[in-house]
Amino acid sequence: MIRKTSDVTVVGSGFSGLVAAHILAKRGLRVLLVDENVRMGGQLLRSLPRSGGSSGTGGLRRYGFCLIDLVKKESIEILNRTKVLDVDEQKVLLLEREEKEILSVESDVVLLATGARERFMPFKGWTLPGVISTGAAQILMKGSGVLPARKMLVSGAGPFLLAVAAEYLRNHGKLLSVLDRGGVADKLLLLAHGLWDLPKVVEGALHLAVIFMARVPLHHRTTVVEARGCGELDTVVAAKVSKDGGILEGTERTYRTGCLAVGWGFTPNIELPQLAGCALEWDGSMGGWVVKVGEDLETSVHGVFAAGEMTGIAGALKSIHEGEIAAYGILKKLGREMDSNRLGRLKRKRSRDLRFGLHFNRLSRLPDRAFLSIPDDVIICRCEDVTMGHIRKAVNEGYDTPATIKRALRIGMGNCQGRTCAPLLYDILSALTERASKDIPLLSARTPVKPVAIRSFLE
Amino acid sequence: MTQDLRIPSVPRGPKIKVLVNGREVVAYQGETVLAALIAAGRRTLRKSHRRGEGRGPLCGMGVCYECLVSINGRANQRACMTEVEDLMEIGVDDSKDQ
Repeated sequence: MIRKTSDVTVVGSGFSGLVAAHILAKRGLRVLLVDENVRMGGQLLRSLPRSGGSSGTGGLRRYGFCLIDLVKKESIEILNRTKVLDVDEQKVLLLEREEKEILSVESDVVLLATGARERFMPFKGWTLPGVISTGAAQILMKGSGVLPARKMLVSGAGPFLLAVAAEYLRNHGKLLSVLDRGGVADKLLLLAHGLWDLPKVVEGALHLAVIFMARVPLHHRTTVVEARGCGELDTVVAAKVSKDGGILEGTERTYRTGCLAVGWGFTPNIELPQLAGCALEWDGSMGGWVVKVGEDLETSVHGVFAAGEMTGIAGALKSIHEGEIAAYGILKKLGREMDSNRLGRLKRKRSRDLRFGLHFNRLSRLPDRAFLSIPDDVIICRCEDVTMGHIRKAVNEGYDTPATIKRALRIGMGNCQGRTCAPLLYDILSALTERASKDIPLLSARTPVKPVAIRSFLE
Repeated sequence: MTQDLRIPSVPRGPKIKVLVNGREVVAYQGETVLAALIAAGRRTLRKSHRRGEGRGPLCGMGVCYECLVSINGRANQRACMTEVEDLMEIGVDDSKDQ
């Protein structure tokens, strides 16, 4: 095992991690930047600068690529293709690099900036090849310049559907329709609340314009109810949704397509802060369980900071501002000088970013009724093939916490370690047992938080 | 050039070839194994380990582990988190039998 030390270890090289690493290195601190991906940039950049595809967020992306160049020029030690397997309360990180070696890193401060992942709403046939996430569709286009399919249908909830639909159209894909579970009224409400944030409103309007110009129908209060196909997707059944979230029988219509992109907003990646012992809090309007932070973005664990989507889903600007706030917070912590006027301005910007997040997450949030109406034969845990029926039966038998259900059914014990199904299980349990989401105890995160080859420990 | 799913306007790295289940497939440096497989029209990449159902990518960002393939003889590699290399051997399980 290789041992390393650093002043600050930054986990995640998305916007927050890049901004913080750059500032801290400029101030002469020894910074280690760890990321699981081949390239820096997180989910928003995620590409070679030259292979942009056509994307609606040009300005931010240009800024991001400049930032990557700046980070490369500093004497930051960058570990790409490196998984964090463990982080403890003493801030010791256990890493696996390039699937071949194990490292142990001790640092004075750890900044966690591991971003978010998509939320899902399971339906019959959602495991068929051809059903992908809206994020996957976008990453294929902007990361590798590849269309997910010639023909595609987009379904789910929230404004991100429009972004993906517009990007697909700009790249000359044939988009059948966009099905949003939410209502038009909700969107208009967002618009009214969103006038303080003109750039976001303009961005949304541009996506809508692309969709209308292409004469692609945008259906509200409509959701996918079933994906069909013999081994692979060929047909999608959609139906209208009532105001309280129930499926309206008799409103079904079918689409012939080999690709369905689905997305229901995002939820923070909380596994590493969980391991580090950081306090979390439930905030449905911020994407679910988020890391609790003080105003300098320090978590409840001394010397562990968190920035970006993991403190609440609110997009790239919040991540950029939080990267900077965390950097100043860390400088303060380490007794270095910093510009407190600038910090004050950033905190004001952050509260504006949070307001955008509030509306974004509200539009993506699903009612309890949606979870209650999942049919028994629908798979919830895709790694271990655990169905809604299994969960209902377990709950009826008296298992009422995620941990006991996990032990009984192996849900969340597969390769993804519950990253896809755990947020679902919490929502399902909350609906089935009529408890508030904050009262559903979380599954614990365990080392290693990502699968690791035993060979790495032997070499 | 336009018969696969690659977006024509996107500048690409050098053209290389990878072997998918022993068959040569065109790929470009800088793209992920997943992108190369999708561009070549593949959707099914593996079997679920309990029911043996065909599965393909879901999240595309390293979270869900649904796009596991074998790469140069190593099993269970995430296609979405790996970039293609010339003559890389990729194994997918898209057999129809359950």
